[in-house]
Amino acid sequence: MSNAIERKQTAASGETLVDVQDLKKYYGGNGFFAPPPVKAVDTVNFEIKRGETFGLVGESGSGKSTLGRTLVRLEQATDGSVSFDGTDITELSGSELKKWRSNAQMVFQDPESSLNDRMTVGEIIREPLDAHGWKTKSERRERVTELLSEVGLREEHYFRYPHQFSGGQRQRIGIARALALEPEFIVLDEPVSALDVSVQAKIITLLEDLQEEFDLTYLFIAHDLSVVRHICDRVAVMYLGKIMEIGDTEELYEDPQNPYTQALLSAIPRPDPTVTIDRITLPGTPPSPRDPPQGCQFSTRCPAKIRPEAYADVPDETWDAVEQLREVIRERSRMSLSATDQMRKRLGRFSRFDDIDETVEDLFEELSVPQAVQDHVQHAVELVKDGEPEEARTYLRDEFGGVCDTTRPDHHQVSASGRESYCHRHDAEYDDVTAVLSKYSDGA
Amino acid sequence: MSDTNTPNDSYDGDQSSLTSRLAANPRPALRWAAVAAVLLVLEFGAFIGGTLTVLHALVLGVTGLIAAMLGLTISKGIETSINEVQASILSQIDSVRSTAEGIPTLLSRETIPNQGHRLGPDGPWAETFMGLEPRLAWLLRVTLIVVYAFVVAYWLFRGWDIFRIYYRQADWTPTDDIINRLRSHRWGVFGVLIILLFLTMALFGPALGPTTVEANIQSPYGHYVEYYSNETGQVENVTVGNANFNSKSKGAGTNVGPMSYDSFDRFHPFGTLTNGRDLFTFMMGGARTTITVVGIAIGMSAGIAAALGMISAFYSGTVDLGVLTVADGITSVPQLLLLIMVSAVFAGHWITNVLNGGFLLAILFGLTGWPGLWRAVRGPALQVAQEEWVDAAESFGQRPALIMWKHMFPYVVGYLLVYASMSAGGIIIAMSALSFLGNGLGVTAPTPAWGRAIDLGQNYVSTPSWHISLIPGLMIVALVTGANALGDGLRDAIDPETESGSGEQTAAGGGA
Ligand code: SF4
Repeated sequence: MSNAIERKQTAASGETLVDVQDLKKYYGGNGFFAPPPVKAVDTVNFEIKRGETFGLVGESGSGKSTLGRTLVRLEQATDGSVSFDGTDITELSGSELKKWRSNAQMVFQDPESSLNDRMTVGEIIREPLDAHGWKTKSERRERVTELLSEVGLREEHYFRYPHQFSGGQRQRIGIARALALEPEFIVLDEPVSALDVSVQAKIITLLEDLQEEFDLTYLFIAHDLSVVRHICDRVAVMYLGKIMEIGDTEELYEDPQNPYTQALLSAIPRPDPTVTIDRITLPGTPPSPRDPPQGCQFSTRCPAKIRPEAYADVPDETWDAVEQLREVIRERSRMSLSATDQMRKRLGRFSRFDDIDETVEDLFEELSVPQAVQDHVQHAVELVKDGEPEEARTYLRDEFGGVCDTTRPDHHQVSASGRESYCHRHDAEYDDVTAVLSKYSDGA
Repeated sequence: MSDTNTPNDSYDGDQSSLTSRLAANPRPALRWAAVAAVLLVLEFGAFIGGTLTVLHALVLGVTGLIAAMLGLTISKGIETSINEVQASILSQIDSVRSTAEGIPTLLSRETIPNQGHRLGPDGPWAETFMGLEPRLAWLLRVTLIVVYAFVVAYWLFRGWDIFRIYYRQADWTPTDDIINRLRSHRWGVFGVLIILLFLTMALFGPALGPTTVEANIQSPYGHYVEYYSNETGQVENVTVGNANFNSKSKGAGTNVGPMSYDSFDRFHPFGTLTNGRDLFTFMMGGARTTITVVGIAIGMSAGIAAALGMISAFYSGTVDLGVLTVADGITSVPQLLLLIMVSAVFAGHWITNVLNGGFLLAILFGLTGWPGLWRAVRGPALQVAQEEWVDAAESFGQRPALIMWKHMFPYVVGYLLVYASMSAGGIIIAMSALSFLGNGLGVTAPTPAWGRAIDLGQNYVSTPSWHISLIPGLMIVALVTGANALGDGLRDAIDPETESGSGEQTAAGGGA
């Protein structure tokens, strides 16, 4: 904890280094018959202050790596701007881009794949210098030996090959390479997640030391919140291309506001037993970023999702069953039918989805189901059996969907320090997230 | 450290250059160089002669092509001036070559002659090496040359070994592993030996044959042989042409089979052709053309395939699609048809004289052969392009050409070698097929071409003259097999069952 306070002091300059505005990164989708684009990053806004460590957390597929890669121009943004020290780097090209590149470097996740095994360690670290024609050849060699000792390797490693090193050492080589051009900003893409736990701490310490020594600004990408807490000043939690919650790390830990953040945090074992949050297990898997929900990105799995007024009286278990049924039907609508099945469908003899009956029985058995709900469910089931899961899905959304299903939430400021959360529940008219979730975990 | 091959040490902290390291410890290098020099001097003439022949053809072909292109696009004047430059270079190469070939070599026909004649019905032999029977003299020379060639090859390898032990800064490089694996790969070593053998034929061909292409094939009526005539009971003199005329292999009755003498005291290791020429000499003459053409063709198509494969993989998308379209276009034209058309178009053109038509063939095979190789290389290239080190290089602004060269090519070259060596077989067979078809296609007669020997002998396969088709056929099979074996060996050496990395990657990805 004291550590965190110290760090905030070093990061105190408060000046913005990277300013991300309405950034979008879509893949594919251009072209007449192309399937809809994959929205890897979907309208993201945030700032990174000079000297701070900014965390970016999300499950795989959340778009966090794509976002990181866009910031160092390994990906070209579809829309929006990234201004670095005042320059919009999404506009750069040619020699300007190359010149800028020395300001922003990246450390990659997989130490096995990030180093070319056919080059010596010295060549690997020297390559950025060579590419930028940095000083003279002998000065470059000297710089490499210097970097080697900087990251805790020895200078006789110059002529060895990556094969001869362990994962942690390989990651050190990758760090040295990223440092070679004296960048201001480094994107750390899950730099320790491929390493042994015993090595992780050492690499984190190294990164912290280097930050202090060279006044570096980090974007630290991670897949869970546990690592981030120890190194990041501020953190953004991503889900399906969207930032769900963003703010001061400590605060976000102590008092998470967004349902998704709460779910993520509940998964981390906490040393302090007084702040127990019961473990929230999220149902299902994240939807495909090609076909995100119409409303809140998290709405297909959210434990705090807002129920429409009309169904306020339905018992919780029954409502859960309805949500699960919707998930099942969503999965069905993603499956593409074979040619034979298409034919059967046309002949009215389609039977591949007949097992939906069983599913419904499993889900609603022993539950009291109000007649209104029953009717809609039955209608949807018929649609599925006709081979029209897509229509069933829309039907259910129209009938049972609340504001979470239909409307994108806004970012709401949720604390005095400027933390923001992306959720309808911060609107005054709905119950607070924490209240709802505690009820949820009690019931579970 | 988890590594098992911790180097033995020897890093002295210096960043010295190779020359200073040589100066610091010159003995091993000098010792090696001395032996190399002796080896070179022994056969200097042959080396220079062989190299210059190929160089001559290349200069002629390449400058000719440039001149023709510039002449078409810019002006006739440029074409003529280039042609003049070309002529002067060529004449210089020619004169150097004739001097070089004049340098006596130890293992030559002159030092160990095998052409002589009997002095009486049962010997003894005159004019052969130490009065040996021609068969033995020839065998001795061939054995010595082959041994010499293998010693040279070994010594070159030894040179690399000395470099790595005494002068290289890195204690270990991935190349060491590759070479060690290739060394213990029996099938690959077999391939290396076969290829070496054929290279020996190409380089030392003139000294290997019992007689020369010039005397036996090109101008047989300008050369004479002496022999002991059983009829007259004395040594007679006759033109090679006449001797050939009476030594034909045309099935039962008139046949000179392998390892036998004809009635002019000439020894034929592989027997004679239907026109009485010596098959072994013919094959050795053909080896140089064949191997040069195959080398140029493969070099070209492999180069194009590698460049385009990496460009496809690196840029992907539209660029990839473009290359694919071109490749498909080329593959859709039947190669044989194309060759026939082009030969017809270029009939009588000077380019058909370069390497006796082989150069044109080589270019054609090169330009049409790459799509297959490209397809083979594109997959692995796409895979390498996904590696994070490529991203890393991109992120610090490395130039695309260098990214492809340093970060992708080393991982693709293995596949390239395998498929290139396999396509070598195809090219040899296609070339043979072309000369087999005749009609002015391929290598022009009477320049030896292996396919033509097969063609000549095809009517005699079931007669005592079976050797005419069978032996060249077997040699082609041997070369193709050797090339494939080498390819297999290289692949296994370069990519030993793609490493352990994949398992860890899944583990890392699964944590997300
Ligand atoms: S908007 Fe609705 S679905 Fe989205 S996080 Fe808030 S409660 Fe959950």
